[in-house]
Amino acid sequence: MAEVSFQGKTFEVDEDGFLLRFDEWCPEWVEYVKESEGIAEITEDHQKIIDFLQDYYRKNGIAPMVRILSKNTGFKLKQVYELFPSGPGKGACKMAGLPKPTGCV
Amino acid sequence: MAFISSGYNPEKPMEGRITDIGPQHYAQFYPPVIARNKGKWLYHEIIEPGVLVHVAESGEKVYTVRVGAARLMSITHIREICEIADKHCGGHLRFTTRNNVEFMVETEEAMKALRDDLASRKFDGGSKKFPVGGTGAGISNIVHTQGWVHCHTPATDASGPVKAIMDEVFEDFQSMRLPAPVRISLACCINMCGAVHCSDIGVVGIHRKPPMIDHAWTDQLCEIPLAVASCPTAAVRPTKVELDGKKVNSIAIKNERCMYCGNCYTMCPALPISDGEGDGCVIMVGGKVSNRISMPKFSKVVVAYIPNEAPRWPTLTNTIKHIIEVYSENAMKYERLGDWAERIGWERFFQLTGLEFTHHLIDDFRDPAYYTWRQSTQFKF
Ligand code: HEM
Ligand code: HEM
Ligand code: SF4
Ligand code: SF4
Repeated sequence: MAEVSFQGKTFEVDEDGFLLRFDEWCPEWVEYVKESEGIAEITEDHQKIIDFLQDYYRKNGIAPMVRILSKNTGFKLKQVYELFPSGPGKGACKMAGLPKPTGCV
Repeated sequence: MAFISSGYNPEKPMEGRITDIGPQHYAQFYPPVIARNKGKWLYHEIIEPGVLVHVAESGEKVYTVRVGAARLMSITHIREICEIADKHCGGHLRFTTRNNVEFMVETEEAMKALRDDLASRKFDGGSKKFPVGGTGAGISNIVHTQGWVHCHTPATDASGPVKAIMDEVFEDFQSMRLPAPVRISLACCINMCGAVHCSDIGVVGIHRKPPMIDHAWTDQLCEIPLAVASCPTAAVRPTKVELDGKKVNSIAIKNERCMYCGNCYTMCPALPISDGEGDGCVIMVGGKVSNRISMPKFSKVVVAYIPNEAPRWPTLTNTIKHIIEVYSENAMKYERLGDWAERIGWERFFQLTGLEFTHHLIDDFRDPAYYTWRQSTQFKF
């Protein structure tokens, strides 16, 4: 598996750029990923989504369904895409350090 | 090769981005005769295998020549299809729902020139590039999937067995001698992408061993609750295991409850299941989707396991050929394979085909299994 270094930190990642271990997540990870996910600046709204995803993952061991993400953060799917152009899975979950989405995606 | 930009700017990915435009409107690509007579067709005839004529109220005719295609094809092949369409059909063509290709012309002379041109083209290995056929009561193309070409969950290949089966039944692609059309479909795992569950003959890749568990990665790569909920028989549960002196969260599988569906691997990369010797195919028969005479039917498992025998799958192809022969000798006109098997009774189907009836074929999945058993004294010895 590949390793990437950024601002003195190293991260183990897969070929899609997802963290292999949630525990390795740190704020630098977000800074490192944002460009490849088409995000110039991490705003409060970005942070709110990332925080919710992490919180939900720690409590439940899964990523929230899109409806739950919307309901809890108050962002409609359209707004989620405005914040994370690649969408909640590839964009937000990757930045939040969650495991790569699986299934027939 | 050196990088050649399409004009996309990775610095500003959302700039100039076009989205939500959908597919092109199909009417843009109609041959003129189709556009003129749309919604005003009177009748049609199958002139010969692979050749149809439709007659419109206006008296105008359109001749259609249907040719087989491998579905998986190169741009080179598509260009040759375009070249043929340019030469004979004013640049128009269409693909069918079974991935055959149809070329349309307006006169009988043009149809004959087109048909003979198509029939003459071959690959270097000798296979026909554009075999004419697939109409009426015969065997048209095989609806199939990705197999070892592209998917990560297959238990068998798709393109390989499809080529082997079509070679075996090729005469029935180019003739119309069967009681009714026979649809063959293939899926490389029990996800059943495609049409295997509703085809006259379905081939499905299956496993025969439970998944392996990569404990070191289970809790890192997987959302364990998803893996638990993915199991139709509730064989998966969360657990803690000791690994190099450390306790890690992982998964446990009750092997005697697992029927190797592989669903948990779809959800969790740490549960690989494929196995060279374990994997193989089942054959299902008797499904249909049309409402013609009888309601649509699901196909039923009649052969529980056939090993993978790449590259030609001889046992699989011989068994399919044999089922088709027995069906075609015994069924009545218009009777689909499922109609026939239900009329004569499945015990007679097994008797006539000589297929072995094993305990695997008896449904044991939840309450509905009961309804597949026989609550009657009506049966034939
Ligand atoms: C609501 C619209 C439609 C429905 C529900 C529908 C449904 C179906 C079904 C269920 C079959 C398979 C029949 C079988 O295997 O027994 C089929 C085959 C086919 N359909 Fe359609 N269809 C529709 C529209 C069309 C249209 C608009 C066209 C062409 C202009 C078309 C052309 C065909 C052809 C050519 C086949 C046979 C393909 C082959 O054997 O290679 N269908 N359709
Ligand atoms: C009045 C109009 C039409 C009627 C009543 C009609 C009726 C039928 C019938 C009864 C079948 C045989 C179904 C079976 O055996 O299960 C059939 C097959 C078919 N029809 Fe038509 N049809 C009409 C117009 C069209 C048009 C406009 C097209 C395409 C341009 C078309 C394309 C086909 C095709 C591709 C098949 C399948 C042939 C095969 O795979 O054997 N039909 N149609
Ligand atoms: S049937 Fe299974 S293995 Fe084949 S393409 Fe679909 S998901 Fe992949
Ligand atoms: S392979 Fe299927 S039956 Fe076996 S544990 Fe996984 S999900 Fe359950």
